Amino acid sequence: MMRHIFVIFLILFSAQVWAEEVNTENLQLASAPINQSDMASIKRGAKFFSTNCMSCHTLIYLRYDKIAQEAGITYDKMPVNVKSWPYGITPPDLSLEADIRGVDWLYTYLHSFYVDKARPTGVNNLLVHNTAMPGIIMPYQGEQELVANPVPDLFNNIQWYDAVKLVKQGMLKPDDFDATIADVVDFLAYAAEPFHQEQHTIGWWVLGFLAFLFVLMYLLKCEYWKDVKKNNDSN
Amino acid sequence: MSEQVNSKKNGLMEWIDKRYPWTDFMRRHMSGYYAPKNFNFWYFFGSFSLLVFVMQIVTGVWLVMEYTPTADGSFASVQHIMREVRYGWLLRFMHTTGASAFFIVIYLHMYRALIYGSYQKPRELVWLIGMVIYFMLLIEAFTGYVLPWGQMSYWGAAVITSFASAVPYLGDIVLVWLRGGFSVSGVSLHRFFSLHVIAIPLILAVFVFVHLVALHQVGSNNPDGIEIKNKKNAEGVPLDGIPFHPYYTVKDLVGVVVFLFVFSIVVFFTPKMGGIFIEPDNFVPANPMMTPPEIAPVWYMTPFYAMLRAIPNKFFGLITMAAAIAIMFVLPWLDRSRVRSIRYKGSLSKIAIVVFVICFISLGYLGHEAVSTLRTIMARIFTVGYFAFFLLMPLYSSLEKTKPLPERVTE
Repeated sequence: MMRHIFVIFLILFSAQVWAEEVNTENLQLASAPINQSDMASIKRGAKFFSTNCMSCHTLIYLRYDKIAQEAGITYDKMPVNVKSWPYGITPPDLSLEADIRGVDWLYTYLHSFYVDKARPTGVNNLLVHNTAMPGIIMPYQGEQELVANPVPDLFNNIQWYDAVKLVKQGMLKPDDFDATIADVVDFLAYAAEPFHQEQHTIGWWVLGFLAFLFVLMYLLKCEYWKDVKKNNDSN
Repeated sequence: MSEQVNSKKNGLMEWIDKRYPWTDFMRRHMSGYYAPKNFNFWYFFGSFSLLVFVMQIVTGVWLVMEYTPTADGSFASVQHIMREVRYGWLLRFMHTTGASAFFIVIYLHMYRALIYGSYQKPRELVWLIGMVIYFMLLIEAFTGYVLPWGQMSYWGAAVITSFASAVPYLGDIVLVWLRGGFSVSGVSLHRFFSLHVIAIPLILAVFVFVHLVALHQVGSNNPDGIEIKNKKNAEGVPLDGIPFHPYYTVKDLVGVVVFLFVFSIVVFFTPKMGGIFIEPDNFVPANPMMTPPEIAPVWYMTPFYAMLRAIPNKFFGLITMAAAIAIMFVLPWLDRSRVRSIRYKGSLSKIAIVVFVICFISLGYLGHEAVSTLRTIMARIFTVGYFAFFLLMPLYSSLEKTKPLPERVTE
């Protein structure tokens, strides 16, 4: 009996030590190479999302019926309604995830899955420790392993690619994988702010108009204030 | 032809003027209202506040058309506005940016009054009414921030209403009365909605009007802090005064265009201002079961929030916070200086203003950050600095040597 308790204690304790080794405090978020006006990228991301993510994650605020139907996913086939998700964690709705976490966070998160036999899913993540999300990304990226002692840079920051090492390449070459994830993040940014492009387009027109109006108003002001200036001199 | 049009127009004006004092009113408050001719940059912010006030009401009216003030529907209805309502995102971003812009222009407007002594005799009421507006604005901003019903809305409301529980004996009763239940709920949301769209805007509109009436009774102060009414010409027109209309209306138009330019940069290109104007946690729907790691109010309240957190005792923290606002009300009676403007005050007053601004901005920064030992100590020092500015004012303003005032306003 005592031996069993001792073994359990040892496992827990070692897991604790090990967990502390993964120092994600200093993990620097990678800058997501996305372009929110690149409609082609958003569409590629939407396609990837609908084939890989949509079986679990909803996008309730994006009118996604069309995308879902084109990908052959209908409401009744989506396991959104399962009574109990494994590990008791419902996959979050992602319609505002880019607003909540930021695009850099999403880009880094999707890059930093690594093999962890201790987890029931077989994977773990640098940003969300003990994430409940399974290795959906792994067939594309390949298998990554944790680097025992990642070397921080001058500012004591660690990049995700310093903390994990690709041991077996997946379906995509690293460059293609980066581009695919950028597309997905681009799509999620679009899902959070579908008005983004319209906002910028109108914004430039408004600023242009105001700049023009400024010249007119300034001339008008100078014209009126001539009298005040003249009066000042005569006083 | 043109004469005919003219006489027609005059006929209409005559008809109106017999029944309503339109021409008299406009003359008295626009073309016959003499303002000092030496207004500088700081004098734009009064007009800007009025502009933002009108903008908030107009965008607010349209937002309410699509917004649902219930715990179940609120968050989704905001997303509905952002996505499905034509230019709904524009209305909402104008409104959220307008809230922060309102406080920026109000703080600068108050700073102007502070440095040029615009609160001094005979303008005490202008200042007091302005302070009421500022206080109502804080409540308006708080109730408005609850409406999107995100995590920060919910927990911000929970924290701020919980202040009431620090009231001795009656605390718990007041708390339930404020929230409409034992915790913040859809009932609280609904009442905050009512206050935000009806009660407080009405009060604000009345006080803005009264603020202007009081101002026009005593006349505007100016950067020199001397009374332009003391030097008049034969017709009784102040020598250093110019009619508000057209001179300041056209000048303010230039300012308004510049203001709108900066405002549009925020609305169209960075409406969240990196999480300062709209906090990232507020994109998560309100969840009473899950407290966010950090609860921070929006930036315009953080100076007072920092004071609250700096005091270990909740009740005294609350008293300090309330006193920080209350002490601004009595400012006109704390300043014993013979002159109004900082231009002619002594070096003590100048140092005091600099210390005050540093304290206020630092407290604002500290209230936004997570608590740490060092930050708490700093917050205490800045709180002392904030109060010292007011409490020592009767001393330093009367002791220091002031410069002689000019006869007429300077350029």
